[in-house]
Amino acid sequence: MVSYSLAVDIGGTFTDAVLRGSDGSLVVDKTLTTHHDLLEGFFRSVDLTLAKAGLGAPAIDGVVVHATTVVTNALIERKGPPTALITTRGFRDVLPIRNEHRYEMYDPQIEFAPPLIPRELTFEIDERVLADGEVLKDVEPAQVEALIPALRAANVASVAICLINAYRNGANEQRVAEVLRAKAPDLYLSLSSGVAPQIREYPRASTTAINAYTTPITEPYLRGLASGLSKAQVANRPLIMLSSGGVIGAEVAGRNPVRMIESGPAAGALAAAYFAERLGLDRLMSFDMGGTTAKACLIEGRKPLVTGMLEVDRKYRFCEGSGMPLTIPSIDMIEIGAGGGSIAYVDDLGLLKVGPESAGSEPGPACYGRGGMRPTVTDADLLLGLLDADNFLGGDMPLDERAAERAMDVLAAELGVSRDAATSGIYRIVAEAMAGAARAHATDRGVDHRGLPLLAFGGAGPVHACAVGELLQSAAVIFPPRASVLSAFGALVTPVRLDLVRSALGRLDGLDWDEVRRLVAEMTDEATAALSEAGSPAGGVRLKVGADLRYAGQQNEVGVTFEDDPVSARDAEAIRRVFEDAYFAQYGVNPSHVPIEVVSWRLTAEGPEDRVHAAGPSGAGEGRPIREVAVPLWPTAGPAKVFARPSLGRGQRLEGPALVEERETTIVLPPGWSATVDDAGCITAKRSA
Amino acid sequence: MDGIELEILWSNLIGIVSEQAKALQRIAFSPIVREAGDLASGLFDARGRMVAQANTGTPGHINSLAAAGLRLAEIFHNRLVPGDIVITNDPWMSAGHFFDITVLCPIFWDERLIGYIGSTIHHTDIGGYGIGAGARDVHEEGLWIPPLKLYEAGEPNQTLHDIIRSNVRTPDHVFGDLAAQVSSGRAGGERLIALCKRQGLADIEALADEIIGRSEAATRKAIRTLPSGTWRGESRFDVPGGDIITLKAAVTIDADAGEITIDFDGSSGASPMGINVVMNYTHAYSTFAVRSCLNPEQPNNHGSLAPIKVKAPKGSIVNAQYPVSVNARHVVGMFVPMPILKALHQVIPDRVLAEGSGAVWTVQIQGKRETGEAFTSSMFNYSGGMGARLTKPGPSATCYPTGVAAVPVEILEAAMPIVFDRRELRLGSGGKGRTPGGDGQVIGFHMRTSEPWLLNAVPSRLDRGPDGLDGGAAGAPGRFLVNGKPMSEGKKMMMQPGDVVVLETPGGGGYGAL
Repeated sequence: MVSYSLAVDIGGTFTDAVLRGSDGSLVVDKTLTTHHDLLEGFFRSVDLTLAKAGLGAPAIDGVVVHATTVVTNALIERKGPPTALITTRGFRDVLPIRNEHRYEMYDPQIEFAPPLIPRELTFEIDERVLADGEVLKDVEPAQVEALIPALRAANVASVAICLINAYRNGANEQRVAEVLRAKAPDLYLSLSSGVAPQIREYPRASTTAINAYTTPITEPYLRGLASGLSKAQVANRPLIMLSSGGVIGAEVAGRNPVRMIESGPAAGALAAAYFAERLGLDRLMSFDMGGTTAKACLIEGRKPLVTGMLEVDRKYRFCEGSGMPLTIPSIDMIEIGAGGGSIAYVDDLGLLKVGPESAGSEPGPACYGRGGMRPTVTDADLLLGLLDADNFLGGDMPLDERAAERAMDVLAAELGVSRDAATSGIYRIVAEAMAGAARAHATDRGVDHRGLPLLAFGGAGPVHACAVGELLQSAAVIFPPRASVLSAFGALVTPVRLDLVRSALGRLDGLDWDEVRRLVAEMTDEATAALSEAGSPAGGVRLKVGADLRYAGQQNEVGVTFEDDPVSARDAEAIRRVFEDAYFAQYGVNPSHVPIEVVSWRLTAEGPEDRVHAAGPSGAGEGRPIREVAVPLWPTAGPAKVFARPSLGRGQRLEGPALVEERETTIVLPPGWSATVDDAGCITAKRSA
Repeated sequence: MDGIELEILWSNLIGIVSEQAKALQRIAFSPIVREAGDLASGLFDARGRMVAQANTGTPGHINSLAAAGLRLAEIFHNRLVPGDIVITNDPWMSAGHFFDITVLCPIFWDERLIGYIGSTIHHTDIGGYGIGAGARDVHEEGLWIPPLKLYEAGEPNQTLHDIIRSNVRTPDHVFGDLAAQVSSGRAGGERLIALCKRQGLADIEALADEIIGRSEAATRKAIRTLPSGTWRGESRFDVPGGDIITLKAAVTIDADAGEITIDFDGSSGASPMGINVVMNYTHAYSTFAVRSCLNPEQPNNHGSLAPIKVKAPKGSIVNAQYPVSVNARHVVGMFVPMPILKALHQVIPDRVLAEGSGAVWTVQIQGKRETGEAFTSSMFNYSGGMGARLTKPGPSATCYPTGVAAVPVEILEAAMPIVFDRRELRLGSGGKGRTPGGDGQVIGFHMRTSEPWLLNAVPSRLDRGPDGLDGGAAGAPGRFLVNGKPMSEGKKMMMQPGDVVVLETPGGGGYGAL
């Protein structure tokens, strides 16, 4: 009897569904994202996929995993209901003061986005917890109760509570919550000591505010999802993809929607980790290029790197620092403004620049024929012969070559070069920009990018990956099958998992082990309860303790994970060893004699791993070229042979220049590269010599 | 070279130094480097001209590094061999005080010198007086490292290492940060050579000429869009101790030549406090002010800085002469852009901003915990409000011209026995106007200790608030209160256990009459 699992990924443009059978069969489909009601698109994509598979919804008896952009959308659109913030007296401006940093030094016209929760909905109470956790002043319940009329008058639906030093002791926040729960039970409450118990009041308040702001939107959304599935007679409750790469039950996720941000991109990184495992590669870099941006993520030890900090909704010219900070575990990715829609122009210095401004999908690149007048990366790809005007999206969307030429000729004239030089220039510069960003990302993490294989996906990724790989000296460029629904696929191949963190600043040589054990035990309880709720068998949960450490006097921590739990063993020496190795790997030095500090403890709880592999190409057939095309990028290499990907069989070898067309993308194999199709269906390209 | 080749090469050069700067910032022990990005990293050609600069750092360091590179390349001309690394903290040659150490790594490709990677970072300690403006002359301010080789043919210069080790209070941190500067310089050099190989270049001379030539031409072109003439601006502000400083700037635009000359003639003379500014630093903040209004999106390098000339009378507070003390030169240096912006307001009113609080307020505390253990905090800082722009209000609690981040309250409370009573916006402190100035903030704290403690607070603008522009009102001056009593102290103060400190930072000036 075949059992079926389902994954749905709602992205900015498309909603993708993947149905996987325990026999390795895969059925995929996609539909446009329905922004007015995301669940409409969810169920449409499920129906389409089931119809394709000839199955009914009750056949889905395995897991149902969902990655969604709902939280990010709520933040970008700022359409959430009124949300309030309660702070310690004297600290109501924690959001507008930020960290005082002026993120763009040279621009006197700089702007900062208004805080998510305005000053008039921020309330102060008399209370105080000290840095060591001692409660200096208790909460007065009457004071909290007195806030309720003002909350009601403003129609507040959700309240963030963020008190000073609550990362160390959340008792006063609990007290505030108890009063509100008793007197105003309909309010959603987000406590900083529960959402993001980490030192630094501004990022913690920002994280808690985001959680409070999005809860009233995500709660009904997740409830609608669960009831829709149960109505369709799907056996299991839905699981939600988290930005950490974890997967957890919808009820638990709904209490902390902030953890769901970036859940789609996280699933993409997990798919990359899956292929790393499948291909036996310890390390690689994933490269996902879409319409407006490109993302890269390092996979180390077959797992994506995770960071404790991210930023959403960069308001001002995509500048780092112009968005809202979040301190939650999250897959460590860089995103740069370079995608198919990125616009090319000539700047004041006469230089050809590409992006970050994007033509988006409206009007889109000039070749979409929807009124776009400025040349984009997609226009260049088309004029270079890399895309087939009649076969874009399987022919569903014919491209206007004349419009692309007109746009490109204006640019070429401005540069004083030929059309071919301009298109080739765009192709090269966009690769340089992505390679540069990837290099900076790797260097910043102490990783040597040279020789790392690249795993390419997204609509524009396979078109540009070999050019990027060339610049990064990648050992290989890998094109996984079904690259256009890779995030949904990633959500399906990930075990149920939750990552938790608690701040507890202390010197490693003088740790309060009882307190540390208490924190770890607390996280263990929370994680095991959440995992069992998500259907993990009690005996199958694997726990791993980690920590963020630094040398005393430093501000940035290095995160490490311990193979063996050093906390129950009270083994400070083991902690020191692991930290010093990780520090050395990043920085190449270990400052001698400087004491080590623990900043936070982490816990990862993981359910059993899934061992079903998707089937590769069925036969060993030899796909023949369907046509040949001249590519101006390679004037002396002769025409490129064009193949259809589904026609390629196992073990087939291709020599560049060649193009491999899929419905949503095209693999570009430059001269001097060759590629083979493996049993898993991946095409792996390498420089021939 | 066409706009395609040049873009590829140029963006790679900027990438090389930006990566090294980020690595430096992450690894640094110096809190002000980590938190405030108080560093600069640049790539120089064989003649010492800055060709590319990291996309991070403070103006005072970046543009001073450009001058330092040029000077060091001249001093060590024909005296360098592979493996040599050059160092100095000469205030007049680099960033204006001993804390800033510049390290310049020559890049040898085989036996040929093709350029340099340089960096300046603010170190944790440099001996002498320590943080503050109280030294009587520059020699009291710490260890003076003249231009020397830190490494000779790959081997450490042991004499110099020993001298540094014996003259700083935190040798582990200073050597840790020097090692980071050296390793980032070396790594950057390797990256440059790899780029040359990949792109088939024998050196970067032609590339440097192209970058510098185009940048200079573009800056001159931007200046040519402005009218010729001389415009004047004046800023007055008080510094710790109560002295009033006047900075006068005459900004002369020569549209035909595409040049701007800034002359600080008429500005205050040297101060007995360590707040005097060397010419390099004045030059750095002057060019910053002009370029941020003129063409902020263009990369900074030798060429883009060349058409901007800066003059100041010798011995004035903005052209400090040996042996005056310079340690807290930022206290005055951060006001350098303000008279320039006032002058430019008469030419390009839509691109300038009104006066803001200027220098960030810095605080350092020494004392004893209840356990009797002594502690010295790192320096922490708070901003006032920024000045208003023509169409946008001034951001609150944000500093200009530097961009320093503040250390979180919880980090400070975890590090020492301090309790903050409040940290909130100082509503209404921004000057009124068609667009208002940004608000300052109110910070209140006390110590949990039973022993006297030392407070080293450096406030400014306690007497006069930042001026508005075009009829906009001035921002509120700052207030520095101990137990409710106003203070104006330029030196360390002995405090009692129960004392309560309140800092009210100034608001920014408004823009346009209401």
